[in-house]
Amino acid sequence: MSRSSSPNEDYINKLFLWFLLLAAIIMIIVIVAVLIGAIHYRSKRHQGEPEQMTGIKWLEITWTVVPFLILMFFFYFTVKFMKDIDLPVEKNQQADIIITARQWWWEMQYSKYNITTANELHIPVHQKLLMRVESADVIHDWWVPELGRKIDAIPGTSNYSWLEASDTGEYKGACSEYCGTQHAGMRILVISETKNEFDRWVQEQQKVPSPPVDSVGQIGMRLFSERTCAGCHSISGIVAVSHIGPDLTHLASRKTLISGVLPNTPKNLYLWLQNPQKLKEGSHMPNFLLSNNELEALVIYLEELK
Amino acid sequence: MKLNIHIPEPTKPIPDIRTGEGLLQWLSTVDHKLIGIMYLCTALFFFVLGFGEALMMRIQLMRPLNNFLSPEAYNQIFTTHGTNMIFLVLTPMLLGFATYSLPLMIGANEMAFPRLNAFSYWIFLLGGLILYASFFAGGMPNVGWFSYAPLSERFFSSTKGVDYWVISLLLMGIGSVGAALNFVVTTLTMRTKGILMNQLPLFVWMVFINSFLILAAFPVLNAALFMILIDRQFDAHFFVSATGGSPVMWQHLFWGFGHPEVYILALPAFGMVSEVIPVFSRKPIFGYEFIAASSVAIMLLSFGVWAHHMFAVGLGTTFNAFFAASSMLIAVPTGIKIFNWIATMWGGSVQLKTAMLFALALVVNFTIGGLSGVGFSLVPVDWRLTDTYFVVAHIHYVLIGGSLTGGFAAAYYWFPKITGRMLSEKIGKWHFWLYFIGFNCTFFVFHFLGLLGMPRRVYTYPDLPYLGTLNLFSTISACVFGISFILFFWNIFYSLRHGKIAGNNPWNAWTLEWLTSSPPQQKNFEKVPLVRSRRPLWDMLHPEDPDWKRENKNKIKKKGNE
Amino acid sequence: MNKNRILMFFFVGSESFFFLALIISYIYFSHTGGVLSESSHYLDIKRTGIFTIALLSSSITIFLADVSLKRLNRKAHRIWLAATIILGLIFILGQTTEYLKLYKLNFTISKNVFGSAFFTLTGFHGLHVLIGLLVLLIVLIMINNGKFKTIEHTAFSSAAIYWHFVDAVWIVVFSVVYLGALI
Repeated sequence: MSRSSSPNEDYINKLFLWFLLLAAIIMIIVIVAVLIGAIHYRSKRHQGEPEQMTGIKWLEITWTVVPFLILMFFFYFTVKFMKDIDLPVEKNQQADIIITARQWWWEMQYSKYNITTANELHIPVHQKLLMRVESADVIHDWWVPELGRKIDAIPGTSNYSWLEASDTGEYKGACSEYCGTQHAGMRILVISETKNEFDRWVQEQQKVPSPPVDSVGQIGMRLFSERTCAGCHSISGIVAVSHIGPDLTHLASRKTLISGVLPNTPKNLYLWLQNPQKLKEGSHMPNFLLSNNELEALVIYLEELK
Repeated sequence: MKLNIHIPEPTKPIPDIRTGEGLLQWLSTVDHKLIGIMYLCTALFFFVLGFGEALMMRIQLMRPLNNFLSPEAYNQIFTTHGTNMIFLVLTPMLLGFATYSLPLMIGANEMAFPRLNAFSYWIFLLGGLILYASFFAGGMPNVGWFSYAPLSERFFSSTKGVDYWVISLLLMGIGSVGAALNFVVTTLTMRTKGILMNQLPLFVWMVFINSFLILAAFPVLNAALFMILIDRQFDAHFFVSATGGSPVMWQHLFWGFGHPEVYILALPAFGMVSEVIPVFSRKPIFGYEFIAASSVAIMLLSFGVWAHHMFAVGLGTTFNAFFAASSMLIAVPTGIKIFNWIATMWGGSVQLKTAMLFALALVVNFTIGGLSGVGFSLVPVDWRLTDTYFVVAHIHYVLIGGSLTGGFAAAYYWFPKITGRMLSEKIGKWHFWLYFIGFNCTFFVFHFLGLLGMPRRVYTYPDLPYLGTLNLFSTISACVFGISFILFFWNIFYSLRHGKIAGNNPWNAWTLEWLTSSPPQQKNFEKVPLVRSRRPLWDMLHPEDPDWKRENKNKIKKKGNE
Repeated sequence: MNKNRILMFFFVGSESFFFLALIISYIYFSHTGGVLSESSHYLDIKRTGIFTIALLSSSITIFLADVSLKRLNRKAHRIWLAATIILGLIFILGQTTEYLKLYKLNFTISKNVFGSAFFTLTGFHGLHVLIGLLVLLIVLIMINNGKFKTIEHTAFSSAAIYWHFVDAVWIVVFSVVYLGALI
């Protein structure tokens, strides 16, 4: 019923379709049988009591055994597809992507490329990548429907899951384990690209942004440190590294803001900085009561961080 | 009937509730009939609250990015809604009918422990009130009805809502366990002469088996509840991973209760339907032994399936495979009942009274719910559908389509016995069709929403294709569904005053409760005939063709063939 | 079989699941919390063993009380019942003093996950013992006041079932917690 853009999701879809077929057949049988019972066997006037039959043993045994056999068929494919999706992970195998779920955003790190970003994951198409999924606070769940199974992010443990996109494109996902006030505002965007596009993206993400050349941008950069933004948010090149809020080093390169809640435009960024609680009530970002000038400077600075 | 302790029989009739003695009578009663009615009225009261909560959620969700409710308000509401409907509506509804009908159906004059019976009700009610008291104490619980750790730990949920939730469930659980003990001992020791255990009416049998589920499952919940309470109040470390605890352990313990709990909610409804369908098909239940045996199978298996709620936790292929197998297995005994109920109708003389319509609705709707459940046992499918609106569809199909619908079948069936008057069939038919159509329209679309990727427990959702339309359709249907309940309340209100006088046995049914008057006197039975089969009243009315003769004929036929 | 005794059997059966959940949790947490080795030396097996003997003896005394009752020796019945209560109180005293000792050593329910599991499991058992003692005391007082007309009054035999249950649970808990720490 949904697009599948991943071999893993293909397995899931196949199994679901077979199941849907079975379910449809059973539903038709049940509904028709109930209707026959209710209509064909409806009591007629002056009808006496019908034959007081109490059961037909062989029939009951049959309709116990047959469902059991059908389920055995499904069990076989359940285990088979489970194993195909959850391929084993070697002991010392390093994950390509490390996802740390936090209330209410996703931190993403690429071990090979030394990149840290947030909420928007870029991957090369047709490559099987190993994700390590963890949580820094409560239980969350990583789920991008078109790209395969969902997997819990549990504090204190690491879960591994394979990620492979069979087509380029944008894939939307969401946190799938209730994790507090803004569980609904913890969305995921995965962008699958050709190898060239992906390499280019990596190169951009690896760059340390140079300080802004325009004066307003410089004011914004100063404000970023002075107003304690750097206490929660990291930007490469600025002193102090923090994981409390998303890494903003290349904020301007992302398509959305606030974990997928709003498109990334200067206007939306302005509104967010002006009153975070209005856009994502309950989020851990306080309202810094910034003046209009301060807001403008910060927005200009941040939108330069490609 | 022999009782070890002599309970003096009252000589005065029961005072009317409008007299001065009336209210005190209800507060102090140990009569199982009055306690049963109190359970049922409590269920109706909390249903109104729970439906209000549901309606607020549906209004918030009727369009994307709505702001009718703040996220904090929504999260408290969905948590309370789930807790309310399961523990304060379905549970008392099922306990209420069981408390009322079980002694009557086995020819007993009382439950084995009348004071325990009363205590169970009142402590259950106290639990319910404490849950709602949290509203005044800083906020209702907001961590979901199954309260996963570490979100439920004090660090992440600092308001007292979770503590109130814990205490509320502890108290309500004591009530359930008390009731279950009563059901077990009453069934074992107070059957009238002649009722063998394999001749129990199926409702009694289901309640009996169900009680073992309650006795085994609630203590596991209590252990989990105490542990989270101790974590929160005494800084313990059970579910805090940073200091050696395990959040996943909460899930194991909770679902170790939670899964038997859903069968606790389902089995009595199966029992109700197993009474209604034969009476309105005018023939015995098809395959009594298989239905009875399958409930025992469900009882035993239900303790071995809990981790199917945890397939996305990452516990490993072997672990998942075991629970996939057990979950598929448990579908079999559940499924065969559907066939038995349908086969009861075939060859019968079906009367489509409202009670029967609800029973048939259960057959259809519970099949849908059961099938979606089987879908979840296919682990990779679960990896896609768990924690989405597909689950929400499943749970509402089994709990409303199953338990609540069974409760309405029981209500139309036993209202005459309880009150002495018939519920109006005319209003009943309107009630039924609005209910059936409203329910299916509201919840069937949830399957699609889940397949389209909408997670559950979200106060809003993005404006992606079809999400808004389907949600709006569901909200509108929910209003229709809600109107059906208004009709039900009106039916009760109207029929209490103007309903047709019922007489002892308006349905020509065959179990012992129909022997006595409607409503029964405080002493249920003066005399009970010797019981020789599963349908004592059929035997009385058909002395030329009693059940026990037919059963003996079959045995003789079998012997003759050997 | 008598209603009251059947009730007590099923109630005790139900409570067994409660302790089963706590025991399994204890075993899990004590082994995975990573603190077993450092925490287990807080447990004083010898001392607790002595109080365990008191509790186990109380099962014998209540059995003897039952035997006396069947032989219609009301006086012996009351004496053995009182002995049971005294032995139960000795056990509670032992538990309480052990808790106080641990508290002084800063080994509390919040110290680590082992502490949490230990105090929860033994604490709930102790609570069940206390309730049992209360019930036995009430039964003894009622017997002394001649409240039970028939000799076969089930109040005593039901309470005895509960008492034996409390004892059986302690055997398991003692083995798992104290003897288990030796391994």
